[in-house]
Amino acid sequence: MAETAGVVTSYVRTGQRSALNSPLPRHSGPLVGVRVCDFTIGKAGPQATAILADLGAEVIKVERPAPPRPRTSDLPLRAQTLWGIGPGYANNNNRNKFSITADVKRPRAMALVEKLIAASDVVTASFSAHVLPSWGLTYDRLEYLRPGIICLSMPGFGHTGPYSSYQTLGPSVQAGSGLTFMSGRPDMPPAGWGYSYMDNTGGYYGAMAVLLAMIHRVRTGEGQFIDLAQVEAGATLNGAVYLDYSVNGRRFVRLGNRSPHPPAAPHGIYRCLGDDRWCAISVQTDEQWQGLKRVMGEPEWPSRDEFATRLGRYREQDSLDALLEAWTRSQEPFRLMARLQAAGVPAGVVQTGVDLGTSDPQLREFFPKAEHPELGWRRFEGVPTAFCRTPGGLFKAAPLPGEHNPLVFEEVLGLDGHEIDALGKEGAI
Amino acid sequence: MAAGPEGTGGGTRGALSGLRVLEVADRHGEFCGKLLADMGAEVIKVERPGGDESRRIGPFAEDLPGPNRSLHFWHYNTNKRSLTLDLDSADGRALFRKLASQADAVVDGKGTTYLGDRGLGYESLREANPRLVFTMITPFGQSGPWRDYLGGDLVELALGGPVYSTGYDDLSLAPIRPAGGHAYHTAAHFAFIGTLAALFEREQSGLGQQVDCSAHEAIAATVEFANIFHIYQNVRVRRQTGRHAWGGLTPPTQFLCNDGSYVNVLRYQRVLGLAADDNWNTLMEWLHEEGMAGDLADPANADARRRLESDELEWRVADVLAEFAQGHTADELFHGGQKRELLFTRIYEPEELLEDEQMRSRGFSVPVLHAEFNSTFTYPGAPYHFSRTPWAIRTRAPLLGEDNIAILVGELGLSRADLVALREQGTV
Repeated sequence: MAETAGVVTSYVRTGQRSALNSPLPRHSGPLVGVRVCDFTIGKAGPQATAILADLGAEVIKVERPAPPRPRTSDLPLRAQTLWGIGPGYANNNNRNKFSITADVKRPRAMALVEKLIAASDVVTASFSAHVLPSWGLTYDRLEYLRPGIICLSMPGFGHTGPYSSYQTLGPSVQAGSGLTFMSGRPDMPPAGWGYSYMDNTGGYYGAMAVLLAMIHRVRTGEGQFIDLAQVEAGATLNGAVYLDYSVNGRRFVRLGNRSPHPPAAPHGIYRCLGDDRWCAISVQTDEQWQGLKRVMGEPEWPSRDEFATRLGRYREQDSLDALLEAWTRSQEPFRLMARLQAAGVPAGVVQTGVDLGTSDPQLREFFPKAEHPELGWRRFEGVPTAFCRTPGGLFKAAPLPGEHNPLVFEEVLGLDGHEIDALGKEGAI
Repeated sequence: MAAGPEGTGGGTRGALSGLRVLEVADRHGEFCGKLLADMGAEVIKVERPGGDESRRIGPFAEDLPGPNRSLHFWHYNTNKRSLTLDLDSADGRALFRKLASQADAVVDGKGTTYLGDRGLGYESLREANPRLVFTMITPFGQSGPWRDYLGGDLVELALGGPVYSTGYDDLSLAPIRPAGGHAYHTAAHFAFIGTLAALFEREQSGLGQQVDCSAHEAIAATVEFANIFHIYQNVRVRRQTGRHAWGGLTPPTQFLCNDGSYVNVLRYQRVLGLAADDNWNTLMEWLHEEGMAGDLADPANADARRRLESDELEWRVADVLAEFAQGHTADELFHGGQKRELLFTRIYEPEELLEDEQMRSRGFSVPVLHAEFNSTFTYPGAPYHFSRTPWAIRTRAPLLGEDNIAILVGELGLSRADLVALREQGTV
């Protein structure tokens, strides 16, 4: 980076790090001093900004002033089970963030939002492509308000093309990117994903894109606009499958849990003792096969000729799987995993969310707690990236909508109490 | 509309151009290296003299195995340079140390002790280069009883939680590991994020640091409702066909169309918006137009609260949608739904994306020249579009040791005779 060192110095000297003197409580991490004006909704966008906040950025959510939400306890019982999870989900996804409310349809509220943008380094949004421009917030406008600003916009299908107005949620992105189709057994419909992988992963790409743009900005002073189509981010993950098609003309077929590349068997999820308990076993080499045989107590069947080589086992895996599972059914899964690993065989229990949060010895410190004003002390998903010199992590629970209106409006944007009251009466904030 | 990839643009260089990265990696680490390289970093892949394991993973071009024919390797190593170096030899270690003294980052995916045991861990490399960012990716982390467990895609996705949530309504069938190498992807995503954050911070402090990423933690942070249901209701989720694992069984969201493709339909479930009047009314109008509304048109169903409370109605809608799908192609439902602002999405086969109108209009497929085959092949394109610092595949994955001479002779100043000697003793 030597060639740009001079630019970097002038960047710091011009004091562009807008959140350094912020009145809001200060987190720690490599992104301290970066302020994000966050319009994202749903999951993928908030996931992107949760990562930035985990790493120390000051993320200020701009939310719609909403009528009070129905309390979960007022809902019918069945709906409670279904909906009761929503506030917890939002708490997890919005940890470490701050919140203001502003009705962007009202000019006085939009004027406030523009003031916040002028004091921010990054603007983030996850609406369909037309929404931000319909508020007047084109990149040109953002760049006018704050020269050098970075804008991340992450609609499902991107900002251009015939589907740019289409809406998505995580499962739609998975469907539209080929990921759903690729999961499952050949004799069954796609199994897809049992969660919104692309809400998380789309969020990761959002965070990556902002970080990349920040590195460019710190080196040159230049901001930029990022058009992140979540479907494209998902589709890039099928790389070798496209190449098999474009180079060899071969189309993908689902193979359940099996391993065609490299051809290896046994390679699957096997039923164990207990209620819906399973263990993954992946035998890639002859040594691992010998290890598995030892753990099984050297029964007769694995010594059959057809199982003697890796390719033989791969060819005969239907019968191999049935014979292996007849044995694993009687095994306690965690003990089975430990014995197989000790014998040099890759194996892992199919862990539930409860296992992850209560008994997994690698994750004892991974789900830290913080107190939310309505939900109480709760655990949060941790940060899987540890920095030896500038650690980030969990700093606070999610904000209530508008929780930081006074601090942000008065101390960041310089409004007085009367102006804030007037905006409140008008319903603008 | 001014906001878009066009019009605000400028540069042709990626955001990481000018940065040099050394990659000593397994399958997690090499994807992190690709993400860096595709945004302009100069990534030197340090391989053992016979070539990385990754070159032996199929499929292969024309189904002929060979170190320069793995399509897996092609995809995950675009834009990189290849240097073969035996890090078990003193000469190999000295050359690595010299390269690391001038590098911006090292991506280490060789396990908890590999580089450290060879005197090439972060603590020793930073003495010569305090600005170095050293990113370490391990399957299960640097400590704890499972630290040395053997990983791999299937095992890591099982232990991390995704497998338990994925599969079929029929719980007698084994849960499913979604195909594609997503344990590696997920770990690499977080390793990349950590590397970028440390590179950014370095611009202020002038100092590098070690960044640690455990694939197991990364995957466990990705399973969404499996964690949330545990934290808030202390229950484990139930897996179901093609949709979210949930606290209880929910109606299907995936329907077979008359062209053999499937469509995914959201927001008619209570959890996602069945109660919303605009969703309901629009769906009813569409069904009515096609003579499919039937008993759903019962005026009692116009009451949002009733829709929210009725188990039966939610399942009845699913039955009607299943029948509706039988009379349409997946594209008819996808575009017909989306034009009505209903959340219908076609379940694409991956190859179909290369021909899709939307993907074509955005230039998703990119041609990459393979001069050694006298041919150009189609690769997947950009995961993100930057107005100033574009993502790009500049060069195909390197042939084994392709950059040995340029790096060792051209940059580190070895003589040709030195190189011959190193080659004879098996160091490169």
